[in-house]
Amino acid sequence: MKILIADDSRVMRQIVIRTLRQAGFGDHDLIEAANGREAVEMTQSESPDLVLSDWNMPEMTGIEALRHLRAAGNDVKFGFVTSESTPEMKEQAESAGALFFIVKPFSAERFDEVFAPILG
Amino acid sequence: MSVEVEVNENDLAEMVEQVWESYLDPEGVSPLIPTYDENQASEVHSSVSITGSWTGYVVYASSTPAARRAAGAFLAMEPDEVSEEDLSDVLGELANIIGGNVKAMLPPGALLSLPQVVLAPEATARYPNTQRISGVYGMWDGEPVSISMWQSRGDNKEGAE
Repeated sequence: MKILIADDSRVMRQIVIRTLRQAGFGDHDLIEAANGREAVEMTQSESPDLVLSDWNMPEMTGIEALRHLRAAGNDVKFGFVTSESTPEMKEQAESAGALFFIVKPFSAERFDEVFAPILG
Repeated sequence: MSVEVEVNENDLAEMVEQVWESYLDPEGVSPLIPTYDENQASEVHSSVSITGSWTGYVVYASSTPAARRAAGAFLAMEPDEVSEEDLSDVLGELANIIGGNVKAMLPPGALLSLPQVVLAPEATARYPNTQRISGVYGMWDGEPVSISMWQSRGDNKEGAE
């Protein structure tokens, strides 16, 4: 499977990748985007199976990227990995079609719990 | 007016501890040792602003060696291999993670900014019309690290979403 990691922090993208490896998902094809706009473009051009996105990013936020993709008829599996988690954000994410909401700081166990059912 | 903040020092300390457990000290061998010294020196700092139901700043400040070490821990590298870009990125992410966790405890309708990183002491920063309301101050392997919250005074509430 191909997984797109969208975060404006290169360091955080690396940590997400490392944590995916620690959780046993390192064999998947991992690609990166540095903001929401890039995430939309790469989702359309690279057709990942899953998108893990930060919420607060320059150019386009994660939730805007998700809404943009859904409006364009793209139903890629999409979820958030973010330091922010308020009930209203979770509601917005869910109603936009997000599958999960992982809060930073996160652990490999949390990744396993969320991704095992999705990635098998 | 902003609401009275509902995040106290113990909450802040708990968030900081989670960051140490997850990223900076996963082995649990070098915790942040409290000094309770709100005036301890720093060489670099990062901040995020929160506006809306509560308005103010969350600031992460440390010495350069502590920032280097944090970046090394985030990136699984030796501290002396860390570039300035990585160091800035990690400092920003630390303010973002703690700020995001603070925001999660506030009443609905707060907006978090992207982080600002300044490779200069926290004492060079000025947050107009604010007062420090909470902080965690400590030494990490002999190097100063602090996390503080600054609340805006007065009726400068900005519109929420």
